[in-house]
Amino acid sequence: MIFGMWDSVLFHLGPIPVDHLVVTQWCIVVILALVAYSATRDMQLVPRGLQNAFEAAVVWTYDFFTQLMDKEHIAKKYAPLLSTFFLFILFSNYSGLIPGAAHIPGFQPPTSNWNVTIVLAVITVFAVHIAGFQEHGLGYMNHFLSPNPAMLPLNLLEEITHPLSLTLRLFGNIFGEEMIIAYMLFLVPFLVPFALMALSVLLAFIQAIVFTILSASYIATATGDDH
Amino acid sequence: MGGSIALGAGLAVSIAGLGGGVGMGVAGGKAIEAIARQPEVGGDVRTLMFITFAFIETLTIYGLLIAFMLVGKM
Repeated sequence: MIFGMWDSVLFHLGPIPVDHLVVTQWCIVVILALVAYSATRDMQLVPRGLQNAFEAAVVWTYDFFTQLMDKEHIAKKYAPLLSTFFLFILFSNYSGLIPGAAHIPGFQPPTSNWNVTIVLAVITVFAVHIAGFQEHGLGYMNHFLSPNPAMLPLNLLEEITHPLSLTLRLFGNIFGEEMIIAYMLFLVPFLVPFALMALSVLLAFIQAIVFTILSASYIATATGDDH
Repeated sequence: MGGSIALGAGLAVSIAGLGGGVGMGVAGGKAIEAIARQPEVGGDVRTLMFITFAFIETLTIYGLLIAFMLVGKM
C-alpha cells in the first residue's frame, strides 16, 4: 500500500496495468454518458421528463458561470467542461459511500487517490492557459509581468501552486474523510460512523462545487481585462 | 522513534486545525454579518465564502496529509 492507495491491479491492457480506480472511473463515465444519452435521444421542442430536467440544469449552469466569470462567451465556452468536472467529481466522491468502500481493497472513490485529482488539475491548467491565449493573444504574457516585472517569479510560482492546491485539496479531503470513516468503523462498528457518513455526503458535494468554482475563477482571471 | 513520529503527526494536524479553525470562524462570522446586513447580496457572499473556506481548509489539509504520511512511516 503506497500512501493512500491499494495496489490492486485487476488486469493488464497491453503494457498498461489497469487497477480498481480506473475501472470505477470507467463505470462513472459510462453511467453519466448513458443518462445523458437517454435524456437527449429523441429531443422534442417541448421538453418533458428527463430532457426537461437536463435543459433546466444546462441553463442554470450557463447563468451561474456567466455570473461568476463576467464574460458571457467565455462562460458559455467553458461551462460544459466545468459542469463535467462537477458531475465527475461528485459521482467519484459519492462512490465512496457504497458499502465496503475505503476498507475493502478494490472499493475506493477515485478522487481519494492523487493520481486522479492531479489529472483533473492539469486539465484545468491547460484550459486556463488556452483560454488566456485565445482571449488576449500574445498579450496574455503581460499577465505574468503584472503588476510589475519584479513579480514574475511569484506569478510563475502561482502557476505551480494553483494546480498543486487543487490536487491536494480534493485528494486530502476525500482521502482524509475515507480514512476517518475507516478508523471509526474500526473503533465503534455501529451507529457512530453513520453520523460521519452523513457529514461526508455534504462534504463530497461541497468539494465538487469548490473544485468547479476555483477552476472557473482561474479561467476568469486568465481571460479578465485587468491584469 | 515511533513515539516522536506519533507526536509529530498529532501536532501537525492539531496546529494546522487550530489556525484553520480560527480563520474559518472569522471568515464565516463576517460573511454572516454581511448577509444579515444586506440579505440581497446573500448569493454572492455565499459563493465567495465557500471559496475562502476552500483556501483556508487547504492549509489544514496540508497538515492532515503530513500527519497521514508520518503515520504511514511508523
